[in-house]
Amino acid sequence: MVIQIIVTIGIVLLVFPTVYSAFKKKTISLFSLIIWTLFWVGGIVIIWNPSLMGKISGFMGVQRSIDAIVYLAIVFLLYIVFRFRIRLNEMQREITMLTRKLAIKDINKKK
Amino acid sequence: METYIVLPAYNEGKVIKKLIESIKKEGYRNIIVVDDGSTDNTFSEAESTGVVAISHLINRGKGAATQTGIDAAKYLDADIIITMDSDGQHNPKDIVKLIKPLEKGECDVTIGSRFLEKSKNMPMSRVIMNRVGNYITAFFFHKLVTDSQSGFRGYSKKAANLVYTYEDRYEFESEMLGEISKHKLSVKEVPIEVIYTEYSLTKYNKQSSFSPQGLFNGIKMLIRFIEKALFK
Repeated sequence: MVIQIIVTIGIVLLVFPTVYSAFKKKTISLFSLIIWTLFWVGGIVIIWNPSLMGKISGFMGVQRSIDAIVYLAIVFLLYIVFRFRIRLNEMQREITMLTRKLAIKDINKKK
Repeated sequence: METYIVLPAYNEGKVIKKLIESIKKEGYRNIIVVDDGSTDNTFSEAESTGVVAISHLINRGKGAATQTGIDAAKYLDADIIITMDSDGQHNPKDIVKLIKPLEKGECDVTIGSRFLEKSKNMPMSRVIMNRVGNYITAFFFHKLVTDSQSGFRGYSKKAANLVYTYEDRYEFESEMLGEISKHKLSVKEVPIEVIYTEYSLTKYNKQSSFSPQGLFNGIKMLIRFIEKALFK
């Protein structure tokens, strides 16, 4: 019971404001705001009704619900890493382009 | 025909001046030095010789610097662009071998190859390592050459306008081969001499020599190729 209260308060006080302020600053879209809110609300619902997870894992064909959570978390994290990797590549490329433009601009001045 | 020699340089302050002088001695006046965010006096040394010296504000890697040099040469309306390592391992006397076929219109790109002719002082291990590198490059970039990692290359105006690379570091030479094959450019390999001075051997980037560093770079390159296949 105590852990459920702590996690719920944590999500409400820390996660929701972070997501919302990111939306306010326009670093995430309205769509992302909705998805993330639903995701964390879903988390709270499952925390308070652990039997729900049993149904989900039963649907997935996994016996223990904790296994289902771990599988889903791994898939989710891999996806996030993939997105980061792509974004990182893009940023590297942009930095190189910027550096290149600045270097070539120097020739202009010297000419 | 305007020929430009592009020298990507990172911390080559000790040798860059000598190299520029020896290139000038061969009769080439148009030289572009791209200082890749060096922490030494590479830029001022290059600038003092009166050549076109430009610099990356931050270090972006040899590949990035070479592409910047090619862009600069294009901007200065070059007809032929030669890229060369700036640590002194390439002989300026070989530049003419890279230019001739381009001038005659025999091909669009020339590649100086260290392995075209049997070299007397080339250790077997290096020859094998290079061959493995060539096949890996051919697998990912569909172009088999005898020296896929050579930075001594020549580009015609047509080739320079078509190719564009995004790889910042060592993978650059291979990616360029991919560009060459993508645009169906014709390639001619010419034999070149490599000068292994003590300086060039101790420099960080000698994947050409068989050293733990060279092997390490090779493995890193393979990982980057796989990454490229997955993420780009």
